[in-house]
Amino acid sequence: MPFVRFIGFSIIRAWQGFWRNAMMSLAATATVILMLVLLSALLIVITGLNSGLEFIESKVAVTAQLEDGLTDAAVATLTREVEAVPGVASVEYVSPAAAMRRLEESYRETGQELDTGGATIRLFASLEISLDDPDASGTVSAELTDDPRVERVLTKQAEYDTLLGIINVIRTVGLVGIGLVGLTVLFMIINTIRIAVYSRANEIEIMRLVGASDSFIRWPFILEGILCGLVGALVTIVLVAVVWDPIQPAMVTIFQMPTAVSARFLTTLSVLLLAVGLGVGALGSWISVRSYLSAAR
Amino acid sequence: MTYPNGKVALADVNVSIQGGDFVFLVGPSGAGKSTFIRLLIREQVPTAGNVRVAGHDLLRMRRGQVPGLRRRIGIVFQDFRLLPNKTVWENVAFALDVTGSPRAIVRQRVPQLLNLVGLHDHAHHLPTQLSGGEQQRTAIARALVHDPAILIADEPTGNLDPVTSWEIIQLLIQINELGTTVLMATHNQEIVNAMRRRVLALEGGQLVRDEAAAAYEREY
Ligand SMILES: Nc1ncnc2c1ncn2[C@@H]1O[C@H](COP(=O)(O)OP(=O)(O)O)[C@@H](O)[C@H]1O
Ligand SMILES: [Mg+2]
Repeated sequence: MPFVRFIGFSIIRAWQGFWRNAMMSLAATATVILMLVLLSALLIVITGLNSGLEFIESKVAVTAQLEDGLTDAAVATLTREVEAVPGVASVEYVSPAAAMRRLEESYRETGQELDTGGATIRLFASLEISLDDPDASGTVSAELTDDPRVERVLTKQAEYDTLLGIINVIRTVGLVGIGLVGLTVLFMIINTIRIAVYSRANEIEIMRLVGASDSFIRWPFILEGILCGLVGALVTIVLVAVVWDPIQPAMVTIFQMPTAVSARFLTTLSVLLLAVGLGVGALGSWISVRSYLSAAR
Repeated sequence: MTYPNGKVALADVNVSIQGGDFVFLVGPSGAGKSTFIRLLIREQVPTAGNVRVAGHDLLRMRRGQVPGLRRRIGIVFQDFRLLPNKTVWENVAFALDVTGSPRAIVRQRVPQLLNLVGLHDHAHHLPTQLSGGEQQRTAIARALVHDPAILIADEPTGNLDPVTSWEIIQLLIQINELGTTVLMATHNQEIVNAMRRRVLALEGGQLVRDEAAAAYEREY
């Protein structure tokens, strides 16, 4: 019962304090939203790119385009030889006709017709080699490059490395940016609570004189900071939920690869946003209360 | 008691006050009266010596025990220290709210106290709508919310005219008769002379006189 009174008292005072200095509180909340929106964008992009990375990884890892005129028997022999190379999971033969069908298929998917202008396109026959060890692509391609039956070796390694590099750059830049914004947020919350403490100086003095315990004096301010974080997190969660569906195809367009982010990630992200918002609010107000409230008796 | 800036505000002061007494603390401005009071409520800790109040050793007291001590002591000041945006009722109830008293207790205790100090008709007035005497009565009601053993008043009549001052003194006497120990700092000679109570006189941080009620006959 006394604890319920304490909680009720603290929440009401925190709420009053939030609106008493509405400009400051809302400005602090706005910086929380800015930080959390940046964090969400970073996490969504990185998660999308990671799933693009997985897609590349899962695709055929090495393609060997074959010389013209190999007999079926020669192709079969080569297939068996490649299958024996360590790290190779499976080998699939794609005939020129099959390659052509694929090409036409991919054009249809984008809504166009393959127009050859009357000329016949002749595609290579190829072996598509998938690996169970992604690092094996180097050895496999080295072995095939020197093979007289092989015209050319294509790997996804370069594409994979480029994407990995992009992800790392985005992650580093994003984290540094969010770190800087995070410091601003902390500064805003510390200041908001400092002003709240000063504007209640008379009340605090009376509370001390009539024997209010430290927790009654401090917790309303800590909750006021937490409130900034909570409101910021809730607003951001709503924003992210609203733009969630439209941004999925937009990301595919921008990054030119299947950057699917599962809807379950939205739940995880919401929990994370709440935790970060509440955390930064609590940390800022705690610092403020420690520095501006502990000195007096 | 030496302040951090080196000012010795009290030295060699040895006083014992019995429960239930009414005691005056007199002396010119700067004599150390307020410092004496700050030691009693542990707003200051003495740099030498000891202070015992209501069974507590204030030097050994931990920080967490101070609120408990403050609930055993009611205190009022010359400048009333009311919250300007709260009504009489809210100012008194505030002292109960911030110490976690249940609503039911607040609803029962506040009217009792407003009756005691004669302010039940002013419950919903703001401090700016009250006279000085009424503001001080509000402060006294607030000081009594936890039914303290001791009521300390630091120049409570310093801002009041003579007639109002006497009304406040009458109220303090009434509270004392209900069993509360009262310590009142003042430099109102007239009141001290008329009252014939124990008087502690400070000057330059020294206790220059300590006269019990019975021995108190001399004129200043
Ligand atoms: N916080 C303080 N720091 C330093 N000196 C102080 C402080 N408070 C009071 N003093 C000094 O201590 C002496 C006693 O002050 P005080 O107890 O307020 O006297 P009184 O209440 O009798 O007027 C004065 O000289 C005053 O200037
Ligand atoms: Mg004084």
